Amino acid sequence: MTSTDQQPFLSVRDLKVHFSTEDGIVKAVDGLSFDLAKGQTLGIVGESGSGKSVTNLAILGLHDRKRTSLDGEILLDGKELLTATERELEKLRGNKMAMIFQDALASLSPYHTVGRQIAETYRKHTGASKQEARARAVEMLRRVGIPQPDIRVDDYPHQFSGGMRQRAMIAMALVCDPELLIADEPTTALDVTVQAQIMDLLKDLQQEFGTSIIFITHDLGVIADIADDVLVMYGGRCVERGTKKEVLRTPRHPYTWGLLGSMPSLDHPVDVPLNPIPGSPPSLLNPPSGCRFHPRCAFTEKVAGGLCATERPVLDVVDGRGSACHLTAEQRADFLADLAGSRQN
Amino acid sequence: MSFSRRNFLIATGVAAGSTMALSACSSGNAGGNSASKAPSMDKAEAATITVGTKADSQGPAPEMPGAKKGGTLYTLDQIDFDHLDPAQIYSSYTGAGAVLFLRGLTGYRVDSKGNTTLVGDLATDAGTMKDGGKTWSFTLKDGIKWEDGAVVTIEDVRHTFERLFADFVTEGPRYPQNWLEGGDKYKGPYEGKHLKSIEVSGNTITFRLKEGHADFNYMLAMRGFAIVPKKHDTQKKYDKRPYSCGPYKIESRSIDKSLTLVRNEHWEAGKDPVRNGYPDKIVMQFGYQSLASTDRYIADRGNDQFALSLLNEVASERVQKVMGDAKLKQRVMTQVDTTCFYFPINMTRIKDQKVRQAINWAWPAQQLKQQRGGSQVTETATTIISPLTPGHTDFDLYGKKTKPMGDPEKAKALLKEAGKEGQKLVIAFQQSDKAVKEAVTIKNALEKAGFKVVTKQVDKTTFYSEIGQLDNEFDLFAAGWGPDWPAGYAVIFPCWDGSQISEGGVNWAQLNDTGVNKAIAAASVETDPEKANKAWGEIDRQIMELAACVPDYHPIRNYFYGSKVGGVVWNAGDTAIALGKVFVKA
Amino acid sequence: MFRFLIRRVIGALVILLVISAVTFFLFYAIPRDPARMACGKVCDAELLEQVRVNLGIADPMPVQYWHWLQGIFVGRDYTGIGHCNAPCLGYSFTNSEPVFETIKTDLPTTISLALGAAFFFLIIGVGAGMIAAVKQGTWMDKTASSLSLLGSSLQIYFVGYIAMFFLVQQLGVLDPPSYTPFTENPGAWVSGLLLPWLVLSIIFTANYTRMTRSQLVEQLSEDYVRTARAKGLSGRNVFFRFAWRGAMGPIVTIFGIDMGTLIGGAIITESTFSLQGLGTRAVRAVTDSDLPMLLGVTVVAATAIVFANILVDLVYALIDPRIRLA
Repeated sequence: MTSTDQQPFLSVRDLKVHFSTEDGIVKAVDGLSFDLAKGQTLGIVGESGSGKSVTNLAILGLHDRKRTSLDGEILLDGKELLTATERELEKLRGNKMAMIFQDALASLSPYHTVGRQIAETYRKHTGASKQEARARAVEMLRRVGIPQPDIRVDDYPHQFSGGMRQRAMIAMALVCDPELLIADEPTTALDVTVQAQIMDLLKDLQQEFGTSIIFITHDLGVIADIADDVLVMYGGRCVERGTKKEVLRTPRHPYTWGLLGSMPSLDHPVDVPLNPIPGSPPSLLNPPSGCRFHPRCAFTEKVAGGLCATERPVLDVVDGRGSACHLTAEQRADFLADLAGSRQN
Repeated sequence: MSFSRRNFLIATGVAAGSTMALSACSSGNAGGNSASKAPSMDKAEAATITVGTKADSQGPAPEMPGAKKGGTLYTLDQIDFDHLDPAQIYSSYTGAGAVLFLRGLTGYRVDSKGNTTLVGDLATDAGTMKDGGKTWSFTLKDGIKWEDGAVVTIEDVRHTFERLFADFVTEGPRYPQNWLEGGDKYKGPYEGKHLKSIEVSGNTITFRLKEGHADFNYMLAMRGFAIVPKKHDTQKKYDKRPYSCGPYKIESRSIDKSLTLVRNEHWEAGKDPVRNGYPDKIVMQFGYQSLASTDRYIADRGNDQFALSLLNEVASERVQKVMGDAKLKQRVMTQVDTTCFYFPINMTRIKDQKVRQAINWAWPAQQLKQQRGGSQVTETATTIISPLTPGHTDFDLYGKKTKPMGDPEKAKALLKEAGKEGQKLVIAFQQSDKAVKEAVTIKNALEKAGFKVVTKQVDKTTFYSEIGQLDNEFDLFAAGWGPDWPAGYAVIFPCWDGSQISEGGVNWAQLNDTGVNKAIAAASVETDPEKANKAWGEIDRQIMELAACVPDYHPIRNYFYGSKVGGVVWNAGDTAIALGKVFVKA
Repeated sequence: MFRFLIRRVIGALVILLVISAVTFFLFYAIPRDPARMACGKVCDAELLEQVRVNLGIADPMPVQYWHWLQGIFVGRDYTGIGHCNAPCLGYSFTNSEPVFETIKTDLPTTISLALGAAFFFLIIGVGAGMIAAVKQGTWMDKTASSLSLLGSSLQIYFVGYIAMFFLVQQLGVLDPPSYTPFTENPGAWVSGLLLPWLVLSIIFTANYTRMTRSQLVEQLSEDYVRTARAKGLSGRNVFFRFAWRGAMGPIVTIFGIDMGTLIGGAIITESTFSLQGLGTRAVRAVTDSDLPMLLGVTVVAATAIVFANILVDLVYALIDPRIRLA
């Protein structure tokens, strides 16, 4: 968040997404706030089940309305989305805001050609003719780097390679020049080379169209590549936020430390094992008390009075930078110094 | 029970006798409101079917009270007619339907009271006999026309009888083939040769028989001897589309589904003593199980009001309901069948007369009757010739009526006398659930009398082949026979004459008794009907004294019809509803 | 695709050949004598042999089968009857008619029965399944689910007789079952077959309700359906063009099997309602020991089933390009 003096393009305030299930209420997102300015990229990081995907489905209004209760507010360019009707949302989806899903094979309809799937979005929102829409689809395919787009436009998704499918997804999402693009782990299923190509593509397109991007991933390497700001989620809450540089260079939350520790990197010595975070993600049906991370946290004994298990740490945000942890600044500095030391050895 | 056409032939053709005839209907009144009393044969008189006069043969057929011309009559039956080529027709059901378009030299004239007489149908009278029944002459009526307007000629008549000898004719009755002189060598008319024993002269045809047959003219009334036009004889294919000289012709046919008959404009009522031809159209519908047709008659809706059945009876599941409801019962024609079901005793295996008599004494008549549905559907038999067939004499040699539950003591005594206590008996039945139950009853009764009984189930389709084998290994088997025309000869000769013992034949008991054979020979040539009837009755008693079989029962038939059907009377000669007399009420 | 079709058709022909051969040879394993049944009331050995010749069953079995096979491709001559044109399925001496002629008169009934019933059970079954899927968990869903459970546990003859008793006999609101050709009188065609159609749909609907519901529920949670919504397509559009498209495949498959059953195995239905179609024809052919007819009906029924399956595969391929273009 480089500036707060003007209305941000996307503003999420105290978002709560609760599902009712047979076993009880699942608090998938429990009080999440963030802003996103035009042309900026926000990276949301977290393990699966941390609430990152749910947040974004809620923005698009794609949650199951019968089973989900939403609270808080989501403002897109000044428009309240949570109270918008389905019809209003239909006009925005694919048009002003679009989404790229993780598994392109499953997310593209196997029953329709790639071209048609791209074109129908365009026709829906622009009222273009069939020919115009088709021409647009070919153009989009060309732009995302599909060879022979005028021929491949009539192919079905299963006739595309994995990377091409993901490109087609991107073409489909961008066909109406959306102002907000949500990319939900768009590169997870792809191999490294293709992954890099897709990332470059996204960056190029963002430059070209000035799109705001929310990039969801559990991979901090990808974040380092694309994001301006970073938001770390754990158990349906934000545990740390700041600029990419702040979060990656001087992470404040033990969970972020863990994520960084479990991130393979090229300069990491091969013989030193990665430190994945022990334990498993919390149950959102019956979440841990206090800090939701405390059962897996290695630093709880450093906090006096067992506060971690009883008191929920407050997310203190100053200038867009903040974290939710009971550790003091000194304790954190000690750990970071230790970490730096161990890396040098 | 599911009935196919073939099964029908087996069950009621071979077994129960097709083209059965009987002498008097027990309860058929005119006007369609017949059968108001329960059928009983005890008081039934074996009235003869007399030979009508030349005037009776002239036509038109006696009017039915209240009858109207016009409308469409429907039939609802389970199975289609097995054949339409008369030479192949043996079943009385097919004959009953085909009467509308097939005509023979003779036929049965039925008046509004149900009185049946034998008359000339295409012939001017019921025939003239010479030489003690060895020579028979018939004169063709003038100007009878086929459905295409051509005149029926005496050549057509000759051709009809000659083609019976063709090798494709295998299913119809074979009396003329066996009776006519030179019949054993003749191969049919298609190679251009005539049979010398059939002579034509002018409009008269004369048949010369090997032996005297006083009832030849009755035999000719079988639908199997209806006339075929020489010009249109397509041989094997004739079965598909026969030519009509009756009041109706075939408009369309869909096998096993329907047969639609429309008026034959060339038919003249004044020359037909048998058919009134009231409805304009007749739609015969097939494929209805008796339960389905019964339920339709009960509902009495739509076209079903104008429907009757020639084969389907009131379903056994509904007998109580229908016969117990006075209103429904009004629409039922009840008729005792002339068929006698009996158990022939294999004379080559059970040689001791006392043993055979013991079986008769021990018979559980009452129990079997109950099992079959009681007196609404069966009548206990004590003789071979049905009380409704001319030639019947009433007797009950083994106490069937006085001791209907059987008399095991008497049977035991007879066995002891014969020194055959513990005699083993192998009894064969046609495979069916009903037969299994009956077998148990019979087994129990006979074992009570000191027999040892083994029962054997035989497939329905091969049953008659198996019991027709001369060296079969059964002592006793369920069989039955209905006469092909109303005469003692038709009951006795085929099944009990020694000359009829042959591989696949129907003298199932293999009875070859000199006394019986002699008596049959004498009765066959007796030209005086009264004397002949008396003689046949005596032969029946003779056979029963030898105890060559156990008479079992006569079936009772209950035919249901719709509320707008009138003129339902019984043709005792054809042993079927006289379809040619039925009309529909507007 | 084309090669796939060729392969399937050849496979089907082999199956038909095997079925006909098995039927043929099994028939002779049954201890009954068709000749005896086509022989009169008094049947001697000589006459019986004549009947055997007339019926064409005097030849050895393999020769008879070979003649039969030949007849299908080049037709057959019958002495005294004439030529039976290819495809000649044989001549029924019981009916005095070429087998195929008879079957041609049975097919309209059986097909009318199947198509009419399909019309009802597809509309009702799929409709109820769709409502249940859309209104998941509501009383409508629960009602549809329990009704379908009830329907699938019923039998044709049971429902058939009950329906006939109440609707035809007692209340008289429906006509007794009968068949009138559509071309002759469309009104009578409908009124005569309405009861069997409804009874059949009660039995069959259940399956389609269940199938449609479960397929749709599954499809509605598919990723590509979510994608379609994310593109801003309307709910109706997403439901029919995406979810329903995906759900159709398995429904088409069971529909194909059901149509095969309805056409090839209409025995119980037709005898329950006293209708004369392929099913009752088969029963009669067995009881009549009419081998040519039995073979003909078996082959026609098997053809219907086999080709219904090929048709299903074709439709499946049309629906799903992954199969078509594989």
